[in-house]
Amino acid sequence: MTHDHAHADPHAPIEADTSSDPDYFDVMVHALQELLVDKGLIGAGEVRAMLEVVDAAEPSRGAALIARAWTDPAFKQRLLANGSAAIEEFGIDNYDGTQLIVIEQTPEVHNLVVCTLCSCYPRPVLGLPPDWYKSRPYRARAVRDPRGLLREFGTDVPPEVAIRVHDSNANMRYLIMPMRPAGSESMSEAELATLITRDTMIGVTTAKLP
Amino acid sequence: MPVTPDHGPSREPALLIAHSPHDVGGQPEGPVNVSDHELTPFEKRCHALLNVLDVHKLVNTEEKRRGVEELGEVIIGTLGYYQRWAVSAAKILNEKGLVTTQELGRKMIEVRARLTAEDQ
Amino acid sequence: MSNRYAVGDRIRISARYAPGHVRTPFYVRGAVGHIERVLTEFLDPEREAFGINAGTETQLYRVRLDQSTLWPDYTGEPDDVLELEIYEHWLEPAPDSSHQENPS
Repeated sequence: MTHDHAHADPHAPIEADTSSDPDYFDVMVHALQELLVDKGLIGAGEVRAMLEVVDAAEPSRGAALIARAWTDPAFKQRLLANGSAAIEEFGIDNYDGTQLIVIEQTPEVHNLVVCTLCSCYPRPVLGLPPDWYKSRPYRARAVRDPRGLLREFGTDVPPEVAIRVHDSNANMRYLIMPMRPAGSESMSEAELATLITRDTMIGVTTAKLP
Repeated sequence: MPVTPDHGPSREPALLIAHSPHDVGGQPEGPVNVSDHELTPFEKRCHALLNVLDVHKLVNTEEKRRGVEELGEVIIGTLGYYQRWAVSAAKILNEKGLVTTQELGRKMIEVRARLTAEDQ
Repeated sequence: MSNRYAVGDRIRISARYAPGHVRTPFYVRGAVGHIERVLTEFLDPEREAFGINAGTETQLYRVRLDQSTLWPDYTGEPDDVLELEIYEHWLEPAPDSSHQENPS
């Protein structure tokens, strides 16, 4: 069953609930939204507009930033010095009011990001976090056993490389800049961006040639 | 000269109060299930709604988190991530008298009937 | 702007355990480390959680802790560190530092 989104009805559901028994929590959220609009506490189109903002943010944004940093040393310095200001150069709206810190992987130090208290994540540049990032095992073990955890992701950090874990517990958000893989020297900025996956920007994996 | 963390209360019931169950850093846990899923329409709507509530400071992000934490270990462990957000928003809005329990209950009956009718 | 601590200062994260919403994780309470970065002021989340959306601006810092001192059974390497954000009211001078609040 589809709905014609051209109608301006603020109470029209965004998606049809196809189960025969509407879910309790789904009903709750619909009801909250309708009451808030009816009371004039939020605008009729605000939730829909916010959905578009949230949907528009994807890891490709972060990848584009990193690929630019790999190819433009001056931009790289700006990105590392002030992440929030640098993303404005790309027209990215840091819509959630947090501040962005970009941390680069180096041959001496491997960085990893976690939010032990909930699921803080640099949403404007990476989109929404994966389920595993929000899970208890990841949040519990990233701070206490980062090397063991990274091995589960297929990332073996040698003993001579230190690990720096960032618990994103307050107002900062973290984007990891992976190291540019050897052998990528002839790749264009767009090609480089394809090497920079979401997981490399969290720090659970490293960027590799295909 | 203490350089190691002071783990404070170590016995229940003090520990139950001192160490909130959502605060899991360093707790014993098993392997990470490296899974992900595409957000359902409910989850997307819930995420967007809570963002809008924060913009207006009707339910700010910290209030939302506090509301989830207050659900306690059993509910946190049973409800899905966005189900917890929905309940937190409902609780906070009721606390402030912005959307009361009675109002929400009545509207939920109306919405349920409408969604059920649309599927038939 | 209070900015009581500077980069490099040795500090201890307070070991307080009252009920309430806080953003200082349990596992770092009482830990000793140093200031890695001075950030800016933000509203106190402990009050924000109860709808106080203004007037509680608090200095936020990034703190670096040695993993080997944070966990009794740490199985990583000696140079491994953990960094997180701590509000000023959760910091005190490290017991072994020369930063004195009330010099005797």
